[in-house]
Amino acid sequence: MTPACLKVMDALGTPLPPDLAAHVAGCEDCRALAGGFEALESIAPSGGDAGAGAPGTGLETAHRLALEELTARPRATPWWRELLVLLGVDVGVMALGLALLGRGSWVGNQAAPWVVAGVGLLILALVGAGTYLALAPQRRKVPSWGALLLGATVVAVAQLAGGTGQRMRPPPMGGLGCMASEVLLSVVPLACVLVLLCRSAFQPVRAVAAGLSAGGVSLLVIHVHCSDGTAGHLLTGHLAPWLALAGLAVLLRSRLPTRSHAP
Amino acid sequence: MRASVATETDEVLMARFCAGEAPAFDALFQRHAPAVRGYLTRLTGSPATAEDLVQLTFLSLVRSRGRFQAGSRFRPWLYAIATNAARDQLRRGHRPEELTAEGHLPVDVPAEVAGPRDVGLERAVRQALDQLPEGQRVPILLHRFEGMGFAEIADTLGLTESAVKVRAHRGYARLRELLAALREEATG
Repeated sequence: MTPACLKVMDALGTPLPPDLAAHVAGCEDCRALAGGFEALESIAPSGGDAGAGAPGTGLETAHRLALEELTARPRATPWWRELLVLLGVDVGVMALGLALLGRGSWVGNQAAPWVVAGVGLLILALVGAGTYLALAPQRRKVPSWGALLLGATVVAVAQLAGGTGQRMRPPPMGGLGCMASEVLLSVVPLACVLVLLCRSAFQPVRAVAAGLSAGGVSLLVIHVHCSDGTAGHLLTGHLAPWLALAGLAVLLRSRLPTRSHAP
Repeated sequence: MRASVATETDEVLMARFCAGEAPAFDALFQRHAPAVRGYLTRLTGSPATAEDLVQLTFLSLVRSRGRFQAGSRFRPWLYAIATNAARDQLRRGHRPEELTAEGHLPVDVPAEVAGPRDVGLERAVRQALDQLPEGQRVPILLHRFEGMGFAEIADTLGLTESAVKVRAHRGYARLRELLAALREEATG
């Protein structure tokens, strides 16, 4: 589309100035555009608000239900309060998980302390950002998928790169133990975020962000606690359940009823 | 109070509603509910579904008023809720009694404006509109019937203004093609 075509689009429905009318006459795209616009004339109402002035029982019911809801909940809850509650739950589960699994030694990961701390901070950042992305009102969705995939990739690569390569337990048992711990520790954060997700419109990107952040809580605990550093173990015991939880979050959210369709 | 509510902008009314003034909600409802119902009727093709969705839209507005951000425009936010409600309804399936024998949404939408009209042309236009993909149909409905500008539509759909223009442009052009094909069918 040329700048003139864009001007024609903006002027649709109003008398075109001579220069734009001349452009339309010579531009096939604009003729198609104006033709499509005019074709809808036969079903377009004279004003923008079709049906205005005809309240009807349906609208009366809608009004009554909305007022009942307003009476039941007269105070508006800012969205960031839910964000803070969820972050509090995440921090609580992390602390509980570290306390339960880390009896004897808090840090079981055999990698250098700065590697353990660096990867841990990355996971923590992903948990915070994912929770924000899942719950914050959205005006634009363009950067969301990109930011989410980039964040998840960075965490996954950092986790693999930070592995020590040391095997502490035979593969099936070690992997299953971490997998089970990760799933169990994710139950509460995932349940909480799903409840809150139902208070806004279903968007897959939000559900993925919610799943990654809820799974990130247990991923952090396992990262700090687990002493097995082989790539195979990290892939199957740490990263695969984390990604599966993100998929599960989308599946569950798509089936749960939506309490509000606000963006 | 009533006079001041009637002259306030939507955004001021929404701010007052969020602060706990129920009359501000009444004013917003009276101002927008009929138009939202008209939009949802066109979008779903079913007046009964549109009535249900209007209820969901305004329930959502009340429940989520804490998500409305100061400084943003009210009408795109309201139509975003309505569009999301309709999408959710489509995703979850419809009431069986509202589907055609082939399992599609009905194309016929009851007339809103009385007076002489070309019923055959209307049907053809509605069929053509119905054949557009949702990504093109929604911007066209908002632009052509709700009188929204492309910036407002972009806010409603969470897209950039240029993306909305491209979709609307393709939609209008496709509509003309479809109508030409339908006319050929009718005359041939």
